[in-house]
Amino acid sequence: MSDVLLDVRGLVVRYGKATAVDGVSFTLAAGEVLALNGPSGCGKSSTALAVLQLRRPDRGEVRFEGRRLTGLTERELRRVRPRLQPVFQDPYGSLSPRHRVRDAVAEPLKAQGRWDPSEGPARVAELLDRVGLDPSYGERHPHELSGGQCQRAGIARALASGPRLLVLDEPVSSLDPSIRAGVLNLLADLRDDLGLGYLFICHDRAVVRHFADRVIEMRDGRVTSEWSPRPPDAALR
Amino acid sequence: MRPGPAGVTRVVCLITVLAAVGLLPWLSGRDPALTVLRARSAEQEPTREALDAVRRDLGLEAGPLPLLGTWVSGLLHGDLGTSWVSGADILPSVVTGLQVSLALMGCSLGVALLLASSLVAPVLVRGRGSAGAVAAMLAAVPEFLLATIALLVGGVWLGWLPTSGWQGPENMVLPAVALGVPAGGLLGRLVADALPAVLGERWVELWRGAGVSRGRIAAAALRRVLPPLLPQFGMVAVGLTGGAVAVETVFAVPGIGRTALGAAKSQDLPLLQGSVLTLLALGLLTGALAALIRRRLLGPALRDAGLSLPPARPVRAHPAVPVALAALLAVTIGWGLLRDPYTVNTTVRLAAPSWAHPLGTDGLGRDVLARLGHGAASTVGTAAVICLLSLLAALVLGFLPRVTAGAADIANALPPVIVGILVAAVAGPGTGGAALAVALISWPPLAAHAAALVQEVRASSFLTAQRAIGATPWWILTRHVLPSVTAPVTRHALLRLPGIALALASLGFLGLGAQPPAPEWGLLLDESRAYVERAPWAALAPAVELALMAGLAVSGAALTRRRPKTTRVRAAEEAVVGV
Repeated sequence: MSDVLLDVRGLVVRYGKATAVDGVSFTLAAGEVLALNGPSGCGKSSTALAVLQLRRPDRGEVRFEGRRLTGLTERELRRVRPRLQPVFQDPYGSLSPRHRVRDAVAEPLKAQGRWDPSEGPARVAELLDRVGLDPSYGERHPHELSGGQCQRAGIARALASGPRLLVLDEPVSSLDPSIRAGVLNLLADLRDDLGLGYLFICHDRAVVRHFADRVIEMRDGRVTSEWSPRPPDAALR
Repeated sequence: MRPGPAGVTRVVCLITVLAAVGLLPWLSGRDPALTVLRARSAEQEPTREALDAVRRDLGLEAGPLPLLGTWVSGLLHGDLGTSWVSGADILPSVVTGLQVSLALMGCSLGVALLLASSLVAPVLVRGRGSAGAVAAMLAAVPEFLLATIALLVGGVWLGWLPTSGWQGPENMVLPAVALGVPAGGLLGRLVADALPAVLGERWVELWRGAGVSRGRIAAAALRRVLPPLLPQFGMVAVGLTGGAVAVETVFAVPGIGRTALGAAKSQDLPLLQGSVLTLLALGLLTGALAALIRRRLLGPALRDAGLSLPPARPVRAHPAVPVALAALLAVTIGWGLLRDPYTVNTTVRLAAPSWAHPLGTDGLGRDVLARLGHGAASTVGTAAVICLLSLLAALVLGFLPRVTAGAADIANALPPVIVGILVAAVAGPGTGGAALAVALISWPPLAAHAAALVQEVRASSFLTAQRAIGATPWWILTRHVLPSVTAPVTRHALLRLPGIALALASLGFLGLGAQPPAPEWGLLLDESRAYVERAPWAALAPAVELALMAGLAVSGAALTRRRPKTTRVRAAEEAVVGV
């Protein structure tokens, strides 16, 4: 198929004596939605953290765009991170309560030293618009937004640095079912328009069936099976 | 249990304090030989030979380590050495002093318990409400101020009770009240603030529904409230040892606190070592006793967080109260600052308040308002500097949470007065020494607060998100961690300002701070005691101002508790403002 964006081999994550992830391997192609599905405690979120290198895996290898992340220093990683962005489960918790939404969305660019004062504000407004938020929402603080709006702001922040892969850790689990569909549709549109790859962590089979190209089932830190919700032909657009 | 870094810090701090006490003769910059020579024989010329003989005699020539060794080995044999001044054995005078002090503390503990129960009883009976501003106010009044007021009212104006000495039970009343009331106010406030929340818990409804009598519910609620508060009770006991110094001095009670202060002033360092060590041991022992009782009450399975109290519902002060108090203080101080505090005019000695002297004059005919204004300004100014330095130290050390926890424990076990005595013994009494003493014990509570906040911020998921977007550690520190820590800790430091000013004033009052003729708040109160019968306004004016400051400390603190906080942060913030 298309080129491999993410290649994970023999991933092991331990917390003390407990092994959360025990030898997980998979690949993810550009523009593909790969879901990690399983009950709570099966190691899907630990896998996500290890892929993002927010928690260094104890063993195994993570390759992103053909580059080995597992051996890189924090400094070297910071150059890769713009293209590998997360969206977390708790929409309020992942945004600083003290900063306005526009500051949060601008922060990746500022923190990476890529902020252009003349074009930046327009870019932030464009990003907010892209995720379905009126740019005037940029003036608000996270607690003045609904859960769904907050999650959209979190997605806008993830898009700011021009990523190729988003790691979505239960992005809709804490949202109402009515709002959930809107956010999932937004994610689907973004994937189509920008050709993003998604590593989609989710415990809800119905959502996975609807949204993913390929599903990896996990249990007790291991991959138990792999399936496709629809025939490969249907996935071609 | 393996000792953590906090335990290590605790041990290191304790050893440092002990070593400082043991090394006092060597640390003291001025030549103790001269002091000793003067004390032993006034006629003898301070020749080199005579001084050398004294130094050899005291063992000062050997250097710090042998000195410490001799002291410690003597200590282990129960030998505290001999007084430099009188040449008598230290141990007997420490023991008699301790007996007197223990009797006094026992009495004041009785007063404290009486007061505390009378504050708690209405809350228990009504099942809601709180001890109110009265308890908070009583808890904030420093002992030296209360002692002076009790002396004025009970002893001088009403003439009911003797004001000095230690002959019979009637001598005990005023000192016990002065020492017991702040402690009782604090105890009562702690319990009464915690009770309403406990009485609002589900089990109370259930018990009521099941027909359990009100008395039994009240008893169970008390049983529920007491164990988590016991560490604070231990701090009250520590406060008693510091307060004893001031109260015994005011009422001329021959207790261990007065002995320590006298020894510090006459540079009788062995006596000072013995009495300070006894006071420290007393404080630590009561703290350990409180911890032991708590463990007994809770059982081994329910330690620490196992049985935390619901958030207390403290008194809410109307915002106008602290503002009005601060305004009143500012006006008096500002007005006084415009006047001259030094001009001596013996023709108007002890004049009553008039237009020329709105608060009257003192024993040398100096304007009381002017002296009050200048004295308060210098005390508050010093307190502000201490506050700022403590804040900076707290922000730096807040990033070492376990270390600060241990230091905070030790600082809580040291009353400012005792630290002040030690510093004065080393550096001589002065504004700088008093400031150093107060600074030494005012940073740890702030650092503990900062450490709790740092931990809270670091655990929040938006910091993980920060790393994921490629932010550098420096970016995360300066943009996210520091801003969310600085604001609350700064507010906390500001709240402690009145308490720090009161601690400074208490050192000044005891003669451990600024020296005459400098106008200092506490010193002013002390000076006016000499002619309190003839010119009560001169004594009352600084006392009233200090009481205003105490009121400001209480009402200001009551203003801030708005937002919900985590237990750790709350505990750090509510650690009693040490006065």
